[in-house]
Amino acid sequence: MSEAPKDAPFQAVQVDALVIMKIARHCSSLFPTVATGSLVGMDQNGTLEITNTFAFPTVDNSSADTHQSDAANAAAAAPRAKSNITYQNEMIRHLKEVNVDANNVGWYTSATMGNFVTLAFIENQYHYQKDNDKTVALVYDTSRSSQGTLALKAYRLTNIFMNVYKEGKFTTESLQKSKLSFRDILQEYPITVQNSHLLTSFLHQLPSPPVRDIKEPSTLSDLNSDRIKAPLYPSIDNLDLSVDPFLEKTCDLLLESIESHYVDLNNFQFYQRQLAREQTKITQWQAKRKAENAQRTLAKQPLLPEDEWQRLFKLPQEPSRLEGMLNAKQVEQYSKQVDGFTANISAKMFAVRENLLPQ
Amino acid sequence: MAAATERFLHLARPLAHTNVGLQTNIAPLTVHIQPQAVLSILDHAVRRDIRENSQSTRVIGALVGTRSEDGTEVEVRSCFAIPHTEEEDQVEVDVEYQKNMLALVLKAAPRESLLGWYTTSHELNSFSALIQNFFAAPDTGTFPHPAIHLTISTEPGQDIETRCYISAPVAVNAERAAESCLFIQVPHKMLYGDADKSALEAVASARDLESRNAPLVSDIESLGRSIEQTISLLDRVSEWANGVLDEDEEPNNALAQYLMGALSLAPKVDASQIEHDFNNHIQDVLMVSYLANTIRTQIDLSQRLATANLVSNEKEEGKNDGEKGAQRGNKRGGRGGGRSGGQQREPREPREPREPTE
Repeated sequence: MSEAPKDAPFQAVQVDALVIMKIARHCSSLFPTVATGSLVGMDQNGTLEITNTFAFPTVDNSSADTHQSDAANAAAAAPRAKSNITYQNEMIRHLKEVNVDANNVGWYTSATMGNFVTLAFIENQYHYQKDNDKTVALVYDTSRSSQGTLALKAYRLTNIFMNVYKEGKFTTESLQKSKLSFRDILQEYPITVQNSHLLTSFLHQLPSPPVRDIKEPSTLSDLNSDRIKAPLYPSIDNLDLSVDPFLEKTCDLLLESIESHYVDLNNFQFYQRQLAREQTKITQWQAKRKAENAQRTLAKQPLLPEDEWQRLFKLPQEPSRLEGMLNAKQVEQYSKQVDGFTANISAKMFAVRENLLPQ
Repeated sequence: MAAATERFLHLARPLAHTNVGLQTNIAPLTVHIQPQAVLSILDHAVRRDIRENSQSTRVIGALVGTRSEDGTEVEVRSCFAIPHTEEEDQVEVDVEYQKNMLALVLKAAPRESLLGWYTTSHELNSFSALIQNFFAAPDTGTFPHPAIHLTISTEPGQDIETRCYISAPVAVNAERAAESCLFIQVPHKMLYGDADKSALEAVASARDLESRNAPLVSDIESLGRSIEQTISLLDRVSEWANGVLDEDEEPNNALAQYLMGALSLAPKVDASQIEHDFNNHIQDVLMVSYLANTIRTQIDLSQRLATANLVSNEKEEGKNDGEKGAQRGNKRGGRGGGRSGGQQREPREPREPREPTE
């Protein structure tokens, strides 16, 4: 787990059990659509406590029969939609009346196999972070959580990225000046789970490890009808051995990333060719103007201005580097995920082989 | 999956006070409660007003969720708190708040509806009846479906008990009809699905700690834990089996049958087949991991190059650009191979040297 930098407004994120349950439920009920919601809580002694959460209304697709990707975009952009900002304020006002911490401390989103590093994600977090430094984005990975281990991560944009994003300039030059690389976009924060005393007492009533003296069953059907329930923790769900779906999905996502990298590269090459063409034109024009002026000097005529090219020619705009950076970050995220998965699954597979092979 | 079930006979539920001619269903009713609703109620109970002027020891709130088509199964998905004050002779519920909040909650979850209400004590008094009638009323409540009343005890130091009721109208006389009703207990279950399981596990991991606080762990750590748990369970079983063999323990036919059944589930495959499958899969895994890392390195490199070339001073620029072009070319070849296998690309001309913008 990564450490928070010294200059961050908080060092760790503490999430209430209620919040985890609500997010998990909301995100998996809407899967595969992106689910988003708002987080409330407060910060205390360098820890950001998230104590409650509520979902944002899903975007109404029926009003406009848009393309599917448009609908997905709309869902991802929900946290900064105007109607949702009003919704959030209204909700927080209501929650305040029942003694819930009434400060917005960020938002959450669902993801599939870690594919959350997108422009929409950055924009949402920027939207929150520009008004309040102490906000965080929780990412709940629906597909990975269903494999047994809860995949919940907390992210915040780094200060350096905030500054650059505020200026809105992602040209090569500005990136060199700010020394911003794709590694510095997001900062991950460690998460801890917090239970109230009441909840702890409740959790002890949910299935817990079997006690010593149990009445022994007399028949097999007795045993089947009255099973001892498996304890919630530690669960053995993550001993599952499915390999292929994960690999398949990862490959798909990687291909997508390559595709977008390629598009980005093409854009940039197009820009460079365009730039070169324009510049040749300008040089030609300048040479021509110079020759003309030389003749004019000979003919004792007044000289023509030499900087007129600035009006005549227009240099193309450099495409934003942001997309490429996000893509790089995304690929880094995937490959980290694959590494983790490899470590896990190879251990399991060796175990299975050892068990099945005759000694 | 169900936890905390109760066993009792439940034959038919009473009729709600109907208008004549309205069809009502008297089939038994089952209530499913999702853990997040319970957690929400417990959170609310912790956050209740403990200022001196409020005498109420309980809090109330509304239950929201879905109802099956015939109305016999009800699933409580979420809930929200409602401010209320209770004094010796009167109770005040913020009806306006309830209405607004319900609208807000339903906006985010349009398929759900109001189901009933909860409170955090088991006491059923005339205030309960009053509130119950409010929630069951045609214009403000769940009519024609019965309103569900969920009570959760939150006495410190005692088990948390949940009970579920619906109501039937009883009236001593017409004036008191509003504040009297007959509560009938209905069976309820707590349900959690696969999606909640991982979340519940994380929450439960803090259960036995004094600080009530646990970090989220990585995949590999939780795998380690699961394996330890499995090994300890296996040890326990083999200890028991050995005990039976040594005649220390009482043998049990049912358990042994069960164990035999479990053991016979182990597949009988031959060694070479296992070896083959194993190799195939492990190669897939390693290949994908390798490819992912290669792609990451390539894209990382491309990102670096994209911002690096302008740092060099102008003399070296041509040279650098040449290198860059070559590297990019290489990369493209490699990527093409990974993507669609030997797709032919025309060789790119080296990049035009970039003129410094004036």
